[in-house]
Amino acid sequence: MESLSKIINRIKLYIEVTHIGDIARRYFVKNGMDGSMTVLGIILGSWVAKVEDPYVIVMAGFGACLAMGISGLFGAYITEKAERKRIIKDLEESILSDLDGSLQQNASEFVPTLTALVDGLSPSLTATISLIPFLISMVGLLSIWDSYVISTILTFATLFALGLYLGHVARERMWIYGLQMIAAGAVITLIVYALGGF
Amino acid sequence: MQRRVKRIVLDVLKLREPPLTEFASTLCSLPNIEGVKISLIEIDQNTESVKVTIEGNGINLEDVKKLMKNHGAVIHSVDEVVVQKIP
Repeated sequence: MESLSKIINRIKLYIEVTHIGDIARRYFVKNGMDGSMTVLGIILGSWVAKVEDPYVIVMAGFGACLAMGISGLFGAYITEKAERKRIIKDLEESILSDLDGSLQQNASEFVPTLTALVDGLSPSLTATISLIPFLISMVGLLSIWDSYVISTILTFATLFALGLYLGHVARERMWIYGLQMIAAGAVITLIVYALGGF
Repeated sequence: MQRRVKRIVLDVLKLREPPLTEFASTLCSLPNIEGVKISLIEIDQNTESVKVTIEGNGINLEDVKKLMKNHGAVIHSVDEVVVQKIP
């Protein structure tokens, strides 16, 4: 059996060979934002509708993020698998030889799993952050109205953090990207409150 | 009397990934190989034509071929071979 360091080195090599790092990064931020925004919509909608049972919000939130996660998992896997098969065929044509059992072939079989995990887990991760106050509220340690406030702040903080990360990726002023992400959340907030007749 | 391959020079077409350093290090990890030199001849969108010089003491060409294939490379021609008698 391969040692852990050998497995990690192999994964690093697969990521380097397939250049999947860039794609996984995009998947992570885009779907992480999807997770945050979806749960923000649920939280604000519930707030406007004066939902007082945290269980309802937690189940609605986890239900939505589970659906996003499963959709991301299968969607990314199938999409990436198709793309990788095409790339392998192009490479085989380039060297006029098959790549069966090669590093490239093995990497191409591993990469769809990695992207599927990133795509599937990132919305669940960001959504869970937003739902933590309601989980605390379920055990009676926090009032539902405080949960709404804290959860909204946490969601905006998550969006801001994703923006900061994008700014870091772009090697530009990070806070500008953070503010852009917050602006997206603010748009949702305004629309939900307008719909609720606030 | 034994004969051992001390040096071979190969004309190889390889994919651009893994990069040359990684490719050379992997070749060097084969048994009986003491040194590997790779020179880039031509570069294309997906491929690189390279001249691979392998030095060692009893180089096994079949092992080299197999490892290259596993790393997305094919040998076009064997351009030079040095064999030495071992008394």
